[in-house]
Amino acid sequence: MDAKHSNDDRIAFEGTLQQLLEKVESGEMIPKLQASHAPPCKFWTAFQVINGIRHMAPVIHGPKGCTYSVASTYKMRGCEYRGVPLEPTSCTAQNEADVVYGGEGKLLEAIKEADQRYHPELIVVLSCCCSGITGDDVETVAQIAAQEVNARVLAIRSEGFGGDFRSGYEDAFKVLMDLMEPRREVMKGTINIIGAREGPTYTEWIEDLNEIERLVYAIGAKINGVLCGGCTVEQIRRAASAELNASWCYDWGQKLGDLMEERFGVPYARTGQPYGPAATEEWIMGVALPLGLDKQAREVIRKETAAVGEELDTLRRCFEGKTALIEISDFPGPIRALSLARMAEEFGAHPIVVNLHPYTVKERMPSIKFLLQQGQNPEVILTRGLFSLGSFNVSSETQSEVEIVAARYDNAIYLGSPLRQPGISQVNMTTITGYPQYGYQGIRNMARLVQSGMEHATHPRSRLFKKVLYG
Amino acid sequence: MGSGAMAQTTERTSETAVPRATPQRCHDPYLRCALYGAAQTALGVTGCCVLSHSPQGCHQLVEAAFGWQNADYTETLTLCTKLCEDEIVHGGEDLLARTILEARELDVPIMFVVTACGPEIVGDDIVAVCEDVRSQVDFQIVPIQCAGFRGDQNQGTDIALDAMLKHMVTGGRDDRRIPRSVCLIAPHANANPTWMGDLAWVKQSLAQMGGTVLATLTHDTPLGEFQHVPLAQACIVLSHDAGQRAADYLAERYGIEQWCHGLPLPVGFTNTRRWLTELGRRLEAEQEAQRLIAQGEKVVVETCRRKWLEQSGMHRAPAAVVADATVGVPLLRLLTEDLEMLPTLICLRSGQAGTRKMLERELEELGLCVKVLYDTDVYQSKMALAQVQPEIVLGSNIERHAVEELGIPFVIQLVNPIARFRMINRAYFGYTGLLNLIETIQNDWLDRYRSKQRRYQARW
Repeated sequence: MDAKHSNDDRIAFEGTLQQLLEKVESGEMIPKLQASHAPPCKFWTAFQVINGIRHMAPVIHGPKGCTYSVASTYKMRGCEYRGVPLEPTSCTAQNEADVVYGGEGKLLEAIKEADQRYHPELIVVLSCCCSGITGDDVETVAQIAAQEVNARVLAIRSEGFGGDFRSGYEDAFKVLMDLMEPRREVMKGTINIIGAREGPTYTEWIEDLNEIERLVYAIGAKINGVLCGGCTVEQIRRAASAELNASWCYDWGQKLGDLMEERFGVPYARTGQPYGPAATEEWIMGVALPLGLDKQAREVIRKETAAVGEELDTLRRCFEGKTALIEISDFPGPIRALSLARMAEEFGAHPIVVNLHPYTVKERMPSIKFLLQQGQNPEVILTRGLFSLGSFNVSSETQSEVEIVAARYDNAIYLGSPLRQPGISQVNMTTITGYPQYGYQGIRNMARLVQSGMEHATHPRSRLFKKVLYG
Repeated sequence: MGSGAMAQTTERTSETAVPRATPQRCHDPYLRCALYGAAQTALGVTGCCVLSHSPQGCHQLVEAAFGWQNADYTETLTLCTKLCEDEIVHGGEDLLARTILEARELDVPIMFVVTACGPEIVGDDIVAVCEDVRSQVDFQIVPIQCAGFRGDQNQGTDIALDAMLKHMVTGGRDDRRIPRSVCLIAPHANANPTWMGDLAWVKQSLAQMGGTVLATLTHDTPLGEFQHVPLAQACIVLSHDAGQRAADYLAERYGIEQWCHGLPLPVGFTNTRRWLTELGRRLEAEQEAQRLIAQGEKVVVETCRRKWLEQSGMHRAPAAVVADATVGVPLLRLLTEDLEMLPTLICLRSGQAGTRKMLERELEELGLCVKVLYDTDVYQSKMALAQVQPEIVLGSNIERHAVEELGIPFVIQLVNPIARFRMINRAYFGYTGLLNLIETIQNDWLDRYRSKQRRYQARW
């Protein structure tokens, strides 16, 4: 086998996003992760959403393991990095007896105890695998408990086997709509930012939210709340009376936006992530036009654009005529990668998205179809390593494949994680000082990062880093 | 103790102990479940593969256990059957068999199959599945039934040790024991975030007294070590939270005696002296033990003299301990005798059979009047801290956040989880361990005094 043939063998798919979508839909590319790769379950992601509500006490109807895991991952990270006080993560600590005899009575008592102990504004009951299988009726117990406690009580059927990670977010948002009062007197000029998950997640950065909040206020609009990125129960309660919903990330906001439009008639600004000047302008106008603030918005856009003129030149100079390889990993995730592809194209690059797993295409189907409708249809390459069994195999095979892909282009630039060593100019998308990446502050940061990547392209990468990751 | 079904509060004086039971309905846990403990234990076997027969969320527990064992992803693998509704309704045995067979492409010597709540409730017979596919794979398969509802992580460790000893140690009782050889049990059931330092100290001390470690159950344990277990003269349980069941099994099945049973683990001068003295006696190395004690104590004293031991913050400072039993129980004596603090509260997050008696003996000997909470959860600890109002809390990052509104000035982060990155393993056992503890106490204590705000801005 010659080298060229061998290299071609490493490519599992090469085509457009539209073509990949068709292959996934037709079943030609199986949208399933290998056994060595497991994203969080529905319970984890439902918890991520409700964890973004202040003074909310979860009562997890399950064993300790599910509870401590989400507490240590999300609750503690919130305390460490989001300035959130430590609030409880309680559970019914289901044991064998509860599994055999059922735990509804225990759950009811636990809700009452949570109310007395923590004085929360909201109690959310989450079911786990145990209670889901044994058939404990968490919704009815929550309704009964609501009559006996001071807090509002909701229940989410979130047993881990009940759906993939995405269904947890969506079901949690759906249940939270029960807190919303009907749309009455519309709060003029006020919007909700929707689709946030105060996880915090890998891909959710407070700096990005800060930037879009800054822009919303700059055009003269107000924000009722960021659902659910540190919002209050009161903000959720009156959310249906906001004039408009806007998404902080189209992918995560889409479901809640659609549901609120359907149930309450709240209009929803359907825009992608504000990466680069065009997407940022679209995002701002998506909010401004329905609110009648287009004049102020155009003035803000003009001023902000003028203020980043130098950075826009830098980005154009760095991207023009290049191939931009954007690899999906923990960060950027798939939707951010597609937003980056659009930005790179805007500045004159030919974007190629690397390793958009068919699984993620399936999970994010509505968002991907939306982006395609918006005219985003970048080239996509999937390499064989993406489908290997074993984390190390995936990691090491993909590393050599990305090097092979990078070598196919004369003038390529890589945007992604510094964990990869593609052997070409590389932009570190994951440094904390690089946030926000949204909006005009994002343009400043991106320009700095891209320029640094170009200037230091010839600096050898660390042998230590490479040996640690790839053996 | 250990099930966590009932938390007990003991208002203790040196004369009496009156337990008061409070039923737990709403529990904010410090511990993960049995699946996690079992995965921790399995992942201590070098080069193994751990397959969780579970929905994908439970795989995150296995990943956390992977980190706790410092496993290396270039050699140790984790897989998951990612059960969905279909498998819960129709059973997941076929999927389990397929996943085991899929793992044939991996070069692993052994696979542990750990089960979560879902498949155990619906009745997947993992033992039978493992048996069915055994002939089709070239690796050993060990099923471990460790659903989360079976108990907490320490019980999971016990379940896994039990399965390992029964599946992996072949042969019966062998009286041709290797003199001065030991089997170390449950080193990982220890809330020191770098417990490997404790294990290393134990191994080094044993070696210095002429002892040989035949097997470590588990950490970096080669498969071959399991066959040596019946030849051990003795075993030592390195935890007050798990492992006793395995020691009892070894005694019953193989007649292996347990050393240092009932002694607090070697944290602080007295506990370390007692522990080394006992080992010296067992290993017929009394002189060497005394030499190690004298030399170790000298090093601690001289180091503290040369680098300075800041006594002002410790002398008669009311202190609370919120920890597992492995660190928490022996720490009491160190705080009281060596550092002159006044323990006023101890909240034990966990502890296995025998721990309560040991703690009571310690309190008696030390003449302490201490509020004691067993099987505590975060809420109970916070309420007890609010009530007792100690000056210093020796605990974890959870307590660091929990006491923010309580006006308690000092929180020393000793036990998992801590908000510190540790690249080098730091023992709490033994003499270097004592210095490590003092260093952490002094650093966290001084952090409190660091200025958080500037009174004015510099001009340059």
